Amino acid sequence: MDVRLLRIDSRLLHGQVATNWAKAISVNRILVVSDRVAQDVMRKTLIMQAAPPGIKANVITVEKMIRIYNDLRFISIKPMILVEDPVDAKRLVEGGIKITSINIGAISFDSSRVMVTDTIAVGPEDVKALKWLHARGIRLDVRKVANDSSKNLWKSLLDKGLVKDF
Amino acid sequence: MTRREKILKYLEKYTTSESQSATTKEIAEILGILRPNVSKELNQLVREGRVKKMNGRPVRYFILKLNGGQADEPFEQKPTVGFAGSTVITSEVENDALNSEIAETADVFTNMIGAHDSLKNQTEQAKAALLYPPHGLNTLIIGPTGSGKTYFANNMYQFALGKEIIAKKGFTTFNCADYAHNPQLLMSHLFGYVKGAFTGADVDKDGLIQEADGGMLFLDEVHRLPPEGQEMIFYFMDHGTYSRLGETAKMHHADVRLICATTEDPESSLLQTFVRRIPVTIQLPTFDQRSPREKLQLLQRLLTLEANRIHKNIRLSEDVVQALLGSVTYGNVGQLKSNVQLVCAQGFLNSMQNKKEISLKFSQLPPNIKDGLSHLANNRHELGKLTRLLEPVMIIKPDFNRGMPEIDSYELPYNLYEIIGDKAALLKDEGLNQASINNFIMTDINLHLKSFYRQGKLDKTVNSLNEIVDQEIIDLTKKIQRLLQEKESYPLRDSFIYAMSLHISSFIKRVQSGKALRNMSADLISMVHDYPDELRIAGKIKDLIEEHYRFPIPQSEVYYMAILLVSLRSEPKTGKVGIVVAAHGNSTASSMAQVVSQLLSVDNIVAYDMPLEMSPKIALDGIAAQVKNIDRGNGVLLLVDMGSLSTFSSKLSEKTDIHVKTIDMVTTAMVLEAARKTALIDSSLDIVYRELREFAGYSRTIGKVQGENNYSPNLPDQKNKAIIAICSTGEGTAKKIKELLDKILIDNLIDDITVITISVVRMKKQIAEVQQKYQIVAATGVVKPKIAVPFISLENLLQGGGESFVGLIEQVNKRDIHSVDSLENSELLTEETAQKYLSQYFTFINPVKITKILWDYSDFVQQHGHFEMSNSFRISLIMHLAGAVERYLTRSEMSVDEQKLSEAQSDKMYPIIKQANEMLYETINIKLSDDESYYIVALLNTEKEKSNTLKK
Repeated sequence: MDVRLLRIDSRLLHGQVATNWAKAISVNRILVVSDRVAQDVMRKTLIMQAAPPGIKANVITVEKMIRIYNDLRFISIKPMILVEDPVDAKRLVEGGIKITSINIGAISFDSSRVMVTDTIAVGPEDVKALKWLHARGIRLDVRKVANDSSKNLWKSLLDKGLVKDF
Repeated sequence: MTRREKILKYLEKYTTSESQSATTKEIAEILGILRPNVSKELNQLVREGRVKKMNGRPVRYFILKLNGGQADEPFEQKPTVGFAGSTVITSEVENDALNSEIAETADVFTNMIGAHDSLKNQTEQAKAALLYPPHGLNTLIIGPTGSGKTYFANNMYQFALGKEIIAKKGFTTFNCADYAHNPQLLMSHLFGYVKGAFTGADVDKDGLIQEADGGMLFLDEVHRLPPEGQEMIFYFMDHGTYSRLGETAKMHHADVRLICATTEDPESSLLQTFVRRIPVTIQLPTFDQRSPREKLQLLQRLLTLEANRIHKNIRLSEDVVQALLGSVTYGNVGQLKSNVQLVCAQGFLNSMQNKKEISLKFSQLPPNIKDGLSHLANNRHELGKLTRLLEPVMIIKPDFNRGMPEIDSYELPYNLYEIIGDKAALLKDEGLNQASINNFIMTDINLHLKSFYRQGKLDKTVNSLNEIVDQEIIDLTKKIQRLLQEKESYPLRDSFIYAMSLHISSFIKRVQSGKALRNMSADLISMVHDYPDELRIAGKIKDLIEEHYRFPIPQSEVYYMAILLVSLRSEPKTGKVGIVVAAHGNSTASSMAQVVSQLLSVDNIVAYDMPLEMSPKIALDGIAAQVKNIDRGNGVLLLVDMGSLSTFSSKLSEKTDIHVKTIDMVTTAMVLEAARKTALIDSSLDIVYRELREFAGYSRTIGKVQGENNYSPNLPDQKNKAIIAICSTGEGTAKKIKELLDKILIDNLIDDITVITISVVRMKKQIAEVQQKYQIVAATGVVKPKIAVPFISLENLLQGGGESFVGLIEQVNKRDIHSVDSLENSELLTEETAQKYLSQYFTFINPVKITKILWDYSDFVQQHGHFEMSNSFRISLIMHLAGAVERYLTRSEMSVDEQKLSEAQSDKMYPIIKQANEMLYETINIKLSDDESYYIVALLNTEKEKSNTLKK
């Protein structure tokens, strides 16, 4: 399985933004990976409906994502993977999914999180996961759509004093 | 004044006796009418007995003075149809109808042959459908070529007129096959168009639907309607509104009763949609299915029709009657009508000199009709019954109260007898002798009738099959099918073509690739031993294949073929899901069940009445007995009227070993819906149950929890899941199915189900083995195994592209996915839902305040942009808009390059988005940038593109 993009976006698959990505990096499948959404019939249906024409979207659990990634039967799938937060992204990488960079679109704010950029908020668990990913040399790439100029989230985290370089 | 009247008037004035007669030429010159036309009218008048023709040349004519009587009907009118001798076999009902005008006008169906016999149910259905409040139910008439669909529809119309159910006189007919190759043209005929909809559309034009407003519209061969048309018709059925070609909004309204008709097998996938969407299905019997008495009545009525046309009696002997009845092969009553016309035309020619009567002789019948006698003789039982009804000679007299010609496709567009009369006169004028005249005209008649014969279109769609099997093999299989049906009268199921061609295909591939031949196991030999017939027929199939491919076929293959035949035969039509209606009250349940089974003519409903004082124990036993009674192997749906009864289902299953699902609401509408849904083949209990729950529109926790707990066979079972694919060898077809299913499974990211192939020969043992290791969740293949799992037939698997399988698998995996449909129809998708989602995902906006504004925004786009929005797309759009607003607030708007932006600005949606943005600015002072507008337009276009590809 050739993972074309791993994107963190708490809205997962929605609207034109995801379609824009899917077209820009030519994928044949959109995999929305979230334990929570996989149980939520309504959201699951909405997400599957929101897939761009010609590309199928599935909503699966983290465990299943790792299982099919390591299953040779699914070798021909070239997916864009969408996860809700850095914690799920970390679980995927731990499970063996190989990538060199993670795209971060938006992480929505809640009371446990602080804003790092205008669209990204992180909490302590997120920071832990992002540190872990950074330590493995994975680039934390901030872009809304494919042709935006890329920013490094690590730099923003440093600026905010949430992480330290050694 | 018509031509005929002019001529009559002239004749009355100037030609009152032999001495004052006129020739055709004279009349033609004086009246200024073309000579052939005058000749034609004169011949007609002579035939009617109003004008007398004198012998000699040129022929002279003069008017016949009648003794005060009406000149138009020179023949006695009653008794009407009868035999030489005194026996009259018209049915009592018919006589009653004839004797009392009132009875006839009260109910046209009474006059229909078989209304109290083979068409009893059908006429009851038709009446119920027409009278069903408030507006009646749309109806689908199914019947083979020539079984009388148009005639039946016409009678329904007459009935509706008589009962004053329809407002206006009008029975509009449209044959969907007429324009099947040009869907646009078809649609424009049906729905009309607006000026400019296409080249040549210079003015607005109403379609047939509008024309039929207040009346009835008959859509013949409705299965030929292209998908777009079906969609619009269904929409029209549901809402009563439609759009003309070139319009986007469905704003035209028409009040039309629809009757559809088709020759298609109701179980074909083509028709499934229709059967699903049209509430009442009326199945007309074939000619063979009718009783000998009815067949005879039909023949008499058709002969009366001809007698009326020629104004002569028709005399026919017993063997001619038998030959005519036996001559009906595939074309039913329609074919009989054509054949009657043929022999009457011939008889007319042979008895031209006889003014009173024509006589049909067996020796003079055309060979294909003579064959009818031997055809009939093959069926001794039938022949015996018929002979008892027959007299040596039958005489049919003209009768205008009956047998008025109907407008149908078997009616010749011209008067054949006039042509014969004219032509014979002409040829005689030319001086030809009688023998050559007869010869000449007979050829002519044959030509006329042949060109007119409409053959049934028997091309079934096997399109998805030929994607996996060579057309050559499909053709060969069809040849085999014909052989079996014609020569062997071997009963075959619809799936024969599928199963046999797949089997042959895999065998041929095996031979061609040089693989070892299959060996014959002792099991196989002993199994085939019990089926000598199949083995013999398999031998014939072998000969055909050998002849086609010119290589020898080993005996083992014949054995496997025999097994395949056995399995194709032994399986009766998949049993329907049974329905048990149980309700409190002395007859509540049985009256509901009766209404529904009559209305839909289904046989899978039984009722159980429970008087209030009945103890639960007795009720349970009683219901259990009914469950057993109605189960056909596919489970039983229990409809009950009180929640407490729904707890029965677990006990019932224990008692009966039959899957039972309970719905604790029972109304006539619910029973109707349940009957409709279960009437389709391969409707599984689970699917019907789920759909019905949605139909009721509210959740019922007791039933649901009970049901789910009892029937999810996989709950305690931790074994791996498997689907079994069955074919005769377990190697050919089954392997193909496995490949197909594996692909579907992968495509749907299902990794926990294995597909296992199984041979019919050792099916029981193999299944038991599989069950040791796996939990079997579904089965497919040439035969349905006797295990309690959903079965998908080969045709459905191949035609449906396996999508149904996925639904099934999802269900098995307990990921109870609501279908998109239910989401679209649900009331859940309201502003509150949108608001809930917004609050979950956005930081800076206040969902309580913004949701209404964005909802209005999407309404605006929908209305002004003529953009039909699905509920789920509306949510998408609102989410996107909220994102745009938030990006505006955080000054992090998205950007797009110049070129794309300018492309979007020429888009017709762009100005509408701009206007909508303006609204946003007015209400909340937020001005979306052009770049953001680009993304909104792009989102709309993506959606449009998607719905277009879906339609294709």
